[in-house]
Amino acid sequence: MLSDGDWLALWVGIKLALVTTAILLLLCTPLAWWLARRRVPGAALLEAIFALPLVLPPSVLGFYLLIVLGPQGPGGWLAQLAGMRSLAFSFPGLVIGSVVYSLPFVLQPLKNAFVALDQRQLDMAAVAGARPLDRFVSLVLPQARPGYASAAMLGFAHTLGEFGVVLMIGGSLAGQTRVASVALYEHVEAGDYASAHRLAAVLMVISVVLLWALFRWQRRAGAQARGRGDWL
Amino acid sequence: MTLEFDIHGRVGDFRLRASGVLPGRGVTVLFGPSGTGKSSLLQMLAGLLPCEGHVRFDGHSWQSRHAALPVWQRPLGMLQQQPALFSHLTVAGNLEYVRKRRGGGVDVPAIVREVRIEGLLHRRVQGLSGGEAQRVALARALVGDPALLLLDEPLSAVDLPHRESLLQRIAMIARRIPVLYVTHSLDELLYLADQVWLMDSGLLQDQGPVHQALASLDGPLATRSDACALLNGVMGGFDEEDHLQAVKTGQHVFWLPAAQSRVTGEPVRLRIAARDVSLTRSVPEGSSILNILPVTVVAVTPCGPGQHVVRLQLDEHIVLARISSRSLRELAIQSGQRLYAQIKAVALA
Repeated sequence: MLSDGDWLALWVGIKLALVTTAILLLLCTPLAWWLARRRVPGAALLEAIFALPLVLPPSVLGFYLLIVLGPQGPGGWLAQLAGMRSLAFSFPGLVIGSVVYSLPFVLQPLKNAFVALDQRQLDMAAVAGARPLDRFVSLVLPQARPGYASAAMLGFAHTLGEFGVVLMIGGSLAGQTRVASVALYEHVEAGDYASAHRLAAVLMVISVVLLWALFRWQRRAGAQARGRGDWL
Repeated sequence: MTLEFDIHGRVGDFRLRASGVLPGRGVTVLFGPSGTGKSSLLQMLAGLLPCEGHVRFDGHSWQSRHAALPVWQRPLGMLQQQPALFSHLTVAGNLEYVRKRRGGGVDVPAIVREVRIEGLLHRRVQGLSGGEAQRVALARALVGDPALLLLDEPLSAVDLPHRESLLQRIAMIARRIPVLYVTHSLDELLYLADQVWLMDSGLLQDQGPVHQALASLDGPLATRSDACALLNGVMGGFDEEDHLQAVKTGQHVFWLPAAQSRVTGEPVRLRIAARDVSLTRSVPEGSSILNILPVTVVAVTPCGPGQHVVRLQLDEHIVLARISSRSLRELAIQSGQRLYAQIKAVALA
């Protein structure tokens, strides 16, 4: 159905989305906890900065990322340590860009889930003899599960669908930085509408299935534990 | 197993300052109007709210100037206004959560029977009524094998018909575990208290044993419009014809209306409201009042416009009478005077 090149592009996109989502879940757990449960000076400004990818045109974000990741930026210096010339136009660079681009989609659901936690239950867990880490694993994680599901799904789907940022910092190196959305763009540029149709349909189906699974799961979880983990 | 503390800290807009020694047995009721810092004091003692000063329990330091023992290492059980059950677990899961962490040698089935939640174990906690949830929360606190129970208005989320049975459970548990019980309900104080602490505007005052606290004319309890005296007694016989239950206190027998007979010899507390007691110089003839007893006036103090409260000695017991200032003048009541108290109503506390 799809050409080998398109399958490869699809696989690079999925790999990118998986790696990005995993990193974001690890990164956003302490960050969201901190924003949700502590009184942080300047928290509103911090949240505004973390939410920027929601409103900025992806090309603006991509432009700044290009500067930062390029040979003259801190990314280039990092790349030299790893024996590369630049982080731009590489898979690791793409991961860094995607982490920034999809951050609000993971941070917000986690933060909402943590805000909705019942402090009294946490207190009673402490009285019951549970240490902080124990409380997080035995109480916070199970109660914030719908929030984690939303965060993971949204982070994954949003990364899979990114285009502008990838184009700016990734270019289109087959097997490295050419993801499905970029491959689709190139098919259209080349006038190959048949290939574009097939790839677009596959992306469409993946997106619908992901969102459908998320909402279905949330409806069930919501019926059990109402009010927790609104997804944005 | 006494809890000894001297702490202070900020709560909202006021400073809380409290020191005291919690007796190692029985129920100490921390009493006072809402918003005076009672719950905050409890949370400070538990370690849930930061404060300064020191707390010692049973010879171990819970808090000193240098260090505070974390909540999860303090051997206490707690019950708050809301049951705060772990909402992702079943009832049994809630108990197991505590048993795994604290309750090494605890007989969980015995606690489940004692608190009467046998039928609830496999239920999800969302479906429980207020009374059921609070009983589960009490069981959860007990499973942790606490050396001290801190109860913060545990009946406020419980519907009226179920309050008494929960109070009975708490009174039974207090025979083996010391309890600090926060409430603003005089009924709960009368039912449970062995000791009374009062809290007002963030300041704690020890009022001593409950009988004393209720009858102390210097304290705020005796001058309330619903002031009561508390008498210890034992159940006597039951008059089936008139549905009257006898309660013996010392050499006196009180008769109180009752629907059915109770176990003879069972120790009970009688409450006599000050406004249900009137005073006469002699035994009135042909009175409908059942309980008329000889008393001696101990002291008198004003309590509101046109009202006085009289402290009376009835053998080893103390009774309060709330009378009008005019009656006080006309009867020329003074300490040492011998009078008769007509007690219109007596009830079990």
